[in-house]
Amino acid sequence: MGILLLVKIGWRNLWRNPRGTLLTALALGLGLTLLLVSLGLLDGSHEQMVRNGVRFGTGHVVIQAQGYQDINSQELLLPASVVATTAEFLQTNAMKPVVRGVSPRLLASGLLSSAANAAGVRIMGVIPQAERAVSLIPKRIVEGKYLDDDQASGVVIGADLARKLAVKIGAKVVLMTQAVPSPDTEATDAGGGEMQSALLRVSGIFRTGIQAIDAHIIQMPLPEAQALVGVTGRVTQVAILLEREGDSLMVAQGLRKRLAGVPVEVLPWRESMPALAQMFLLDKAFNYVMNGVVLAMVGLGILNTILMRVLERRYEFGLCSALGLQPGQLAVMVIGESLALTAISLALGLVLGLSVQHYFATAGLDLRWFFHSSLPTALVFDPIIYSSLSLTRIASSVGIVFLTATVISLYPALKAARTELPGALKVF
Amino acid sequence: MTDMTKWAVELKEVKKTYRTGPIEVPALRGVSLRVAPGEFLAIAGPSGSGKTTLLNIIGGLDRADTGEVLVEGKNLQLLSSGELARLRLQRLGFVFQAYNLLPILTALENAEFTLLLQGVPVAQRKERVQKLFAEIGLANLEHRRPGELSGGQQQRVAVARAMVTEPALILADEPTANLDSATATALLEVMEQLNRAHGTTFVYATHDPQVMERAHRLIRLRDGQIVSDVAHAGPAL
Repeated sequence: MGILLLVKIGWRNLWRNPRGTLLTALALGLGLTLLLVSLGLLDGSHEQMVRNGVRFGTGHVVIQAQGYQDINSQELLLPASVVATTAEFLQTNAMKPVVRGVSPRLLASGLLSSAANAAGVRIMGVIPQAERAVSLIPKRIVEGKYLDDDQASGVVIGADLARKLAVKIGAKVVLMTQAVPSPDTEATDAGGGEMQSALLRVSGIFRTGIQAIDAHIIQMPLPEAQALVGVTGRVTQVAILLEREGDSLMVAQGLRKRLAGVPVEVLPWRESMPALAQMFLLDKAFNYVMNGVVLAMVGLGILNTILMRVLERRYEFGLCSALGLQPGQLAVMVIGESLALTAISLALGLVLGLSVQHYFATAGLDLRWFFHSSLPTALVFDPIIYSSLSLTRIASSVGIVFLTATVISLYPALKAARTELPGALKVF
Repeated sequence: MTDMTKWAVELKEVKKTYRTGPIEVPALRGVSLRVAPGEFLAIAGPSGSGKTTLLNIIGGLDRADTGEVLVEGKNLQLLSSGELARLRLQRLGFVFQAYNLLPILTALENAEFTLLLQGVPVAQRKERVQKLFAEIGLANLEHRRPGELSGGQQQRVAVARAMVTEPALILADEPTANLDSATATALLEVMEQLNRAHGTTFVYATHDPQVMERAHRLIRLRDGQIVSDVAHAGPAL
């Protein structure tokens, strides 16, 4: 069939004008670079969104009292035995390797006052050591230090809240909340428990970059929170962080089975944080659109390049046709040339794209300057995006670009195959 | 040999008119012609007389509007584009005025191009090209690209490309137009020798008196019609 010679002709055609070919290949390579970088940043932000979302929220799996997800009442507490049962289950050989941290939390609403101001807050009573393994808040301390297990009256607050209250490290603040009515008082006082207050000292200030957290969340040691709310030994939820997001459902199902009959709800993060899950899906859909746009740009670049090369060599194709080359063989020659050009472009694009990708994977793309004060409160978004690109993603990107180039080169190939004689031959 | 294949080329009342918008330019006005196998024939005439159109139609590069064009008994009017390409590859050879070698291939690769398209194995290809190169004075130039060859050498490579498949008919359009007199003579000698040795039919379109003198038969065209058809020495009609 002579396909090898046809490909050889195609290859040599590329090097008739090496500078032009390299510039073209570079332009097309930049398309792949753009695709890889955009995919890396989108995938990275995606992963971060989930990773941070669960670490700033309920973890990959959360156990809470039946109905808490819907009504969010601080009176809905986990039965006392659940924490121990859960800890026991997660220590089994099957679960141990997949679990990264477990943090029991007591959640309540309150009012935090300083000498200057007061603000409504979400109180999280936590075991500092356990919370460190689950939440990102301990890692985002910018002033002072995070809670430790010995410190009784400390509280850590967000940077936005500290600014509003005009407090610094060591400042005294008063936390007020409504105590949960005990079953005894419930009979006589259906309106709820009494107001309780505690004097706390700010031991640390954190900044997550997420306004909803920095302006509203405070963390304090669990025993103090339990004493304040009047629920000694009880918690609102147990947040579980896993090694892999993909195990969320499996762990949730295991726990549901283990806690069958107990009035609790075990929710994987997609159920406990539906807004995040929807954002995740929306982001994914948007990624596809973005990738489609980039791919279309790359495709048009290839089409333009190959078509130009075909149109300017109409005479040569006419000559080959006059010598007896079949239309199909002409098409193979053009496709061979297109694919050779694409291969060079892909090599350049890979080198360039992976280099840029590596930079963003290590140094990150810092968007804090852009999002500093305008980050949507419902969005769990880390303003420093670290690129993340799996081998599968790289292979599929290269494959898709190669496939696109192959499909796109069919049109110029068809055009070459349809070279009309004797019009294309000026000599005869 | 049946009557159908008695002639290498047979044209019957061939007419061709080119149209550019409303303007019609008649190129051939009813040309009838028979070329016997092994002829060494020149078609002469002023520019616009229809020489090139005639070669195009005989070579299956263009189609006649009316009339019949038979090459080795095959009616080209009835063949598809693919069948015409196959016929050109298997039975015809072309030599162009401007050599028209592929600049990215070496002399050897240019010459073996058509063999390769025919699917001839590599060893056989090399052997045939090298033998032909030795015959026409191109030995040791196999690996040069067209840009590294003189005009005469390039035209010899073009002749080798046309000859190497051992076609029945070679169509040459002004093959000596870009060559100096000595080189043109040498090239014509090569083609005459190939004509004698292989019995290949040669049809030239030419202005060159030297080609006309060497041709065994000279046909003159004017305004798309044959005005004279004279036999010289060489194979009888």
